[in-house]
Amino acid sequence: MSMSSEPILQVSNLTKRFGNLVAVNNVSLQIPAGEIVGLIGPNGAGKTTFFNTITGLYTPDEGRVVFKGQDITGMPPHKICKLGMSRTFQVTKAFTEMTVEETVRVGAYNRHGEDDVMEKVDEVISFCGLEEIRHQKCGDLGLASLRRVELARAMATEPDLLLLDEAGAGLTAAELAELMEILRKLNREQSVTLCVVEHVMQMVMGLCERIFVLDAGELIAEGTPEEISNNPRVIEAYLGERAIR
Amino acid sequence: MDTVIQSLLNGALMGCVYALITLGLSLIFGVMNVVNFAHGDFVMLAMYFTFFIGSMWGVDAVFTPAVTFPLLFLVGVVAYYLIIDGTLRQKYVTQIAVTVGLMTFLRALTQLMWKAQPRALPYSLIQGSIHIAGYNIMLSRLISAGVSILAIGGVSLFLSRTWPGRAIRAASDDLDAASLMGVNYRWTYALAFGLGSALTAIAGGLLMTFQQVDPTMGVRFGLLSWCVLALAGLGSIPGLLISGVIVGAAEALSMSLWDPRARSLIVYLIFILVLWVRPRGLFGRK
Repeated sequence: MSMSSEPILQVSNLTKRFGNLVAVNNVSLQIPAGEIVGLIGPNGAGKTTFFNTITGLYTPDEGRVVFKGQDITGMPPHKICKLGMSRTFQVTKAFTEMTVEETVRVGAYNRHGEDDVMEKVDEVISFCGLEEIRHQKCGDLGLASLRRVELARAMATEPDLLLLDEAGAGLTAAELAELMEILRKLNREQSVTLCVVEHVMQMVMGLCERIFVLDAGELIAEGTPEEISNNPRVIEAYLGERAIR
Repeated sequence: MDTVIQSLLNGALMGCVYALITLGLSLIFGVMNVVNFAHGDFVMLAMYFTFFIGSMWGVDAVFTPAVTFPLLFLVGVVAYYLIIDGTLRQKYVTQIAVTVGLMTFLRALTQLMWKAQPRALPYSLIQGSIHIAGYNIMLSRLISAGVSILAIGGVSLFLSRTWPGRAIRAASDDLDAASLMGVNYRWTYALAFGLGSALTAIAGGLLMTFQQVDPTMGVRFGLLSWCVLALAGLGSIPGLLISGVIVGAAEALSMSLWDPRARSLIVYLIFILVLWVRPRGLFGRK
């Protein structure tokens, strides 16, 4: 977890446009392997678009994405997943017609065949504390459980880099604390690099070693939680906006 | 009254075959969101393949799926990669134009190869009929219904118990999420299209035990299966079977009580009524 470790993800000059809207504008950043980093910014800052572009759902208009030393720009999502990147979604995208166990199983097939897939499923289900609901249908679950199922499904693919898109949104303080504990454990015990997009400041400040700030598609700041919370540009763009409300 | 029950029986048995055909369509539409107008012509093609193999090698129609199933699977996969794949991100109109084009192509091709007159195989092994409580049940139809139900059960197991089946269901539920969990969507789509087409091979083999085939049949089976799918809605395999039976029975009833030419009229009336009154179908999830 040292600051000097090799970057697991290198994004250079990434730009994604939708018509006239520049959703991600010339963003360059590096995520060091083994760290927990945060990506914050006001609504519409381009955080989710940034995730979608590095995970292959969108093709960038300009720029490059290098993951573990390999150029993955424009690669289809399933190949990026095979290389070791996975994610959760802001609006949960659990497989509604499947049980929790089956949903996790779909993720586990990424690296396991039919003979040993269930071992992985059991391991992840227990790691995320999903034993009690493992036979329930995802369509019947509440938000907190769904977020955890998504996390479990992404973990089951055995990623080296896990992107979490607002995993804390809509959770109670207790649920949030539980989630943060799972994430810390995941980072510590399985050395998974985490990148969290978050609105819940408590989670970002408490979890991350390094924070990137996006505003209107541009990277406006990067630093430790203290540096970020004292950065005037960030306060103006993001925290300030909150303080006024 | 006897006529009514007799035709209900015949129609219900036929309806099981319709359900099998529709299962293929439902895989293609439910998983890939592709409106496939050529599905009925795959049935027609399967029937010609059955006729070809049956008459060339003297094999009974019921055994031909051993050859036609993999063959239609291949045709489906090739059709997917050649023409469907490129239309996925296009408008529905484009997909419809492409599948209608495929439909016309298949019809023209079969006309060229086997001429326009109806073709039939000699009597199948499973000819004859059994009598229960005064009603006459054709053995070929009874066995066709049974095999269709078995095949539907088999597909259901494949979808719920195997890795490729789960990949198909995951992709049908949420494509983005599935691809980011390592599911290769093109591969999954090709599999769904191949399997959906291959199922017509079983239906085609069964139909040829008691029917003849001509190049115009594709349209009838295509629209019929869209009607069964609309009635059932997406997502329920037992619902598909029940809807197939309803459509088959309605068709048979209208033929015996009203006029043989009224069969399509009744089927499309059901189609329109369902879309009007209950667009998600009887058993649809949304």
